[in-house]
Amino acid sequence: MKSFNLIVVAAKYAYRNRTRSVLTTIGVATGMFLFTTIETMQSSLRSATQSTANDTTLIVFRENRFCPSTSRLPEYYESEIKRMDGVTEVIPVQILVNNCGTSLDVVVFRGIPSSKVGALSEKMHFLHGSLSKWLERSDGALIGANLAQRRRLKIGDSFDAAGVTVTVAGIIRSSESSQDENVAYVHLPFLQQTSRIGLGVVTQFIVKVKDSSALDSVAKQIDLRFKNEPEPTNTSPEKAFFASTAKELIELITFSRWIGIASVLAVIGLIANTILIAVRSKISEHAVLKTLGYSQGAIAWLIVAEAVILSTLGGMFGVSAATIFLHLQSITIGNEGLALAFIPTHSVWLIGFGLSWTLGVIAGAYPAWQASSHSIAENLRAT
Amino acid sequence: MIPLAYTIRNVFRRPTQTLQLVGGSCLVVLLIMVAFAINQAMQSTLTNSGSERNIIFLGAGSEESIERSEIAFGTDEIVNASLEGIRQVMNQSAISPEVHYNGMVQTKKNQQAQALLRGVQHQALWVHRKVRLLEGKFPQSGEVMVGRLAHHKLGLDAKDLMIGEFLEFNKEKLRIVGVFDARGTVMEAEIWIPLLDLMTYIQRDTLSCVVLSAANDNSFADAEVFAKTRLDLELVALKESTYYAKISSFYAPIRWMAWISAILISIGAFMGGLNTLFATFSARIKEFGALQAIGFSRFSIFFSLSQEAMFTGFIAATLSIFISVLFLEGLSFPFSIGVFTVSFDQTIILSGVAAGTLLGMVGVLPPSWKCLRPNLPETLRSS
Repeated sequence: MKSFNLIVVAAKYAYRNRTRSVLTTIGVATGMFLFTTIETMQSSLRSATQSTANDTTLIVFRENRFCPSTSRLPEYYESEIKRMDGVTEVIPVQILVNNCGTSLDVVVFRGIPSSKVGALSEKMHFLHGSLSKWLERSDGALIGANLAQRRRLKIGDSFDAAGVTVTVAGIIRSSESSQDENVAYVHLPFLQQTSRIGLGVVTQFIVKVKDSSALDSVAKQIDLRFKNEPEPTNTSPEKAFFASTAKELIELITFSRWIGIASVLAVIGLIANTILIAVRSKISEHAVLKTLGYSQGAIAWLIVAEAVILSTLGGMFGVSAATIFLHLQSITIGNEGLALAFIPTHSVWLIGFGLSWTLGVIAGAYPAWQASSHSIAENLRAT
Repeated sequence: MIPLAYTIRNVFRRPTQTLQLVGGSCLVVLLIMVAFAINQAMQSTLTNSGSERNIIFLGAGSEESIERSEIAFGTDEIVNASLEGIRQVMNQSAISPEVHYNGMVQTKKNQQAQALLRGVQHQALWVHRKVRLLEGKFPQSGEVMVGRLAHHKLGLDAKDLMIGEFLEFNKEKLRIVGVFDARGTVMEAEIWIPLLDLMTYIQRDTLSCVVLSAANDNSFADAEVFAKTRLDLELVALKESTYYAKISSFYAPIRWMAWISAILISIGAFMGGLNTLFATFSARIKEFGALQAIGFSRFSIFFSLSQEAMFTGFIAATLSIFISVLFLEGLSFPFSIGVFTVSFDQTIILSGVAAGTLLGMVGVLPPSWKCLRPNLPETLRSS
């Protein structure tokens, strides 16, 4: 009860110095906004590159290539791969991107045979439009929700990227892969012809295996089979493929961790600075509290509580603003035809709140120690 | 007016607060300068890479990416025979057929690294006039020459790409025979290889582009007409400067990310600085009252406080300039299509000084308003 009362007193202190509290809250909110955005980037990257026991997808790419515009494999490899042990499905895919470089505005076209779309979209659901609408039009596109939001597209709209014009037939969301959030699925022959690659040539094959234990053996079988062909292959699990191909994107996001650390340090510095100022201005008050019988621990608790109130309040604003911002803006970063959507998750939200609380405790620790360690006489002398 | 000596003495009277303010302001100024330098380096590298006098023929629909472009082998000869206005060097046309390829090379340390390879013939040196051979010679078959900054792109030390060293590409060992520079352009991060070698290694029978050096201002109009009339070649003509301006706008969101990160962290530091100023000024209300009582106007006191804050800001700016020039000048960062080198030139240094001084001017306003707004009796009572 006493601890709770001290929290109420700390809240009153924060309220009494409104200007200082508002400035600190704004500063913490901006720092936590940046941290949450960066943590969302990191968590999206982790989910795109860390393999799990449920992974059963392989990507067959042209050996020694990583840019989709340079990987060209004959479409007839499909039937050869399908005959191999452990393979349940093979989907030939033609990929066309507006730019291979790392950017925030990448549009990825994926041409797939219309007969295979069911296999690809087991965990895909339609937000708008339908599969039948896509099948009706040769230039129809099933676009990810993120891409639709970013380009403000709705059913029936036409859009152009990388010299290809398509009509939106469906807006999809997939629980399986964040890649689908930014992709425009089009008919394979349509993309092969409009991109002038030509019929019979694809960028990659998506191979589904019966279980994750078969991933390695199937990958070896595929590469061995085509080793001496004019177009040899390199087969890897989907997430490993992402990790090896989008290196630049991964480097960029890994580097952003330093910005996240800088924002955390700035938040600690800001709160510690504010609380130190508060402690300095309340030396006499603390002396009076000590005279009235408040222990050193109670004084320390009071100061830490004020720091935690400010940091949690700022954290709440910053984390919430970042979550809303990321949901509204649908930010995606692309590299070499692979796109990573930054979708905030509950875990990022919880990490943000937990961290802002922890930062308050850390930032308040030194001022609390400083205020509580002085004797009443020292405090009164200092005023 | 209050004497300047009094103002300057005040800055050093409270060393702890001054250090806090200088530290916070230094962080803000440094972040602004770094964001500015990164932005400028990226933009100027791309702007410098494109010459107003060079014309690029690309595959129609690939205006956003040379790497994706494909045009028929021999297009350079057709263009040479059809266009007049091509600059002549030793009675030969300055026209360069090229293949741009983003591929994996194996380095001396047995690491796979993404490299920017450009397949060229000797005419490339007539077209790209910023390229200077620093050491060695132009490569023949089985050889390459490397840009001065290519080691950054490959993540190697400069000594690993010295003349006589080897790079492995598509299981072929390529000897480094030359080192070139092209000050401030993306070419400095590239590896140049004989055109036919590259086409053989990547089993490609098409060119990425044809670049020519125009002899006069009318050449571009002629080139455009040529591209539009020869529909069979499926070409598009662009000024090299226009192409790189497009690429530059493509990377604008990445540049904005640097700015936004810097601004968000700066807001936190700025709020901390404001808190410190509020606390410092509040502790000096008695002094402001005394100054008013002996006849100094509130404007004079405000002017003196502004001078104090600007002086602190100037110290912070000077410190930031020292840190950036001593530790950050010349740092190179790889990005999708090259390497950019940050340089703290006069503009950035002046912007740092301006930011520091402005920070002081803006920061002093809210606490001055709060402390100088009340009339003299109120000021004296509040102390």
